[in-house]
Amino acid sequence: MRVIILGCGRIGSGLAGRLSYTGHTVTVIEPVAAALAHLPESFRGRTLVGDVLDRRLLLEAGIDHQDALAAVTPSDDINIVAARLARLVFRVPRVVARVYNPRAAEIYRRLGVQTVCTTTWGISRIAELLSYSELEPVASLGSDVDILDVAVPPLLVGRPVSVITVPGEIQVAAISRGGRTFLPQPATRLEAGDLLHLVVLTAATDHLVALLRQ
Amino acid sequence: MRVLIVGGGQVGSYLAALLLEQRHTVTIIETHEAATAALRRTVPGVTVIQGNGTDPDVLEMAGIRNVDLVAAVTGTDATNLVITSLARFAFNVPKAVARVNNPHNSWMFIPEMGVDLALNQADVLARLITQAML
Repeated sequence: MRVIILGCGRIGSGLAGRLSYTGHTVTVIEPVAAALAHLPESFRGRTLVGDVLDRRLLLEAGIDHQDALAAVTPSDDINIVAARLARLVFRVPRVVARVYNPRAAEIYRRLGVQTVCTTTWGISRIAELLSYSELEPVASLGSDVDILDVAVPPLLVGRPVSVITVPGEIQVAAISRGGRTFLPQPATRLEAGDLLHLVVLTAATDHLVALLRQ
Repeated sequence: MRVLIVGGGQVGSYLAALLLEQRHTVTIIETHEAATAALRRTVPGVTVIQGNGTDPDVLEMAGIRNVDLVAAVTGTDATNLVITSLARFAFNVPKAVARVNNPHNSWMFIPEMGVDLALNQADVLARLITQAML
């Protein structure tokens, strides 16, 4: 995939590093030359210094034949304008803008610009981390299946994943442990501090509560 | 006509005074507190709202759903384009005009960005001057 990234701050440089590492062709545009130092050493893409809304610079970056563009400068206004122009003028098929204002993010989503609101995302993630033991669904898949995040109860530490698996009702989809998330095997042992990501049939929630309290 | 002006600097306040003279109803959104106080003093009859004109909540508070025209005349081009986009496509305002600050940015002031009319001072000046030189 050919991608343009506008802005080389924490998000821009991190994203550029990651996409470049996974084999994508990345071009970064950033107005402040010094900010390019944020890029990891492994970065293999192109960098251009200048105004991210400069038409000549965007064309030099090849915006008219890109697969995607991410607008992640610190300015909501610039990100929104760049994202809309990329879609409407240069016909870039995939465009994402980082936006701080949640209400604006929602409106732009309706106007056809994919937005990532780091504020909303941060709030929901922190709320989730503070309250995950309460069996609140993180997401619902249709009306019958929920995704739940549950901290591993002390009594289940050391037991295999299979003890909280009920075929057709409850499945441990993933486990977050020590900063990384992986897909467990039935025999994977649960460890203290694990966060379990469960896929549960809504009707089986009581069954899950019983299993967690065993 | 009911007009909403975003940006209460020299351009915005001059435009507001002119429109009021022609008996239009004018509301201005301005970010800076000192500037809003000055506007209330120098342009009597104008409704001044202090806030960020790219914030949908502020635009709604200023009555954007009931205006006939929005004029985005802040000193920042990206901001003006966000305002015209919101005005035309999110709030269905019939018409939006925008100020172009940097003439190199004029390519962005297109109907797809909600701009019905772009006012490019530098370009107008430059053209007048080159004409005068002929």
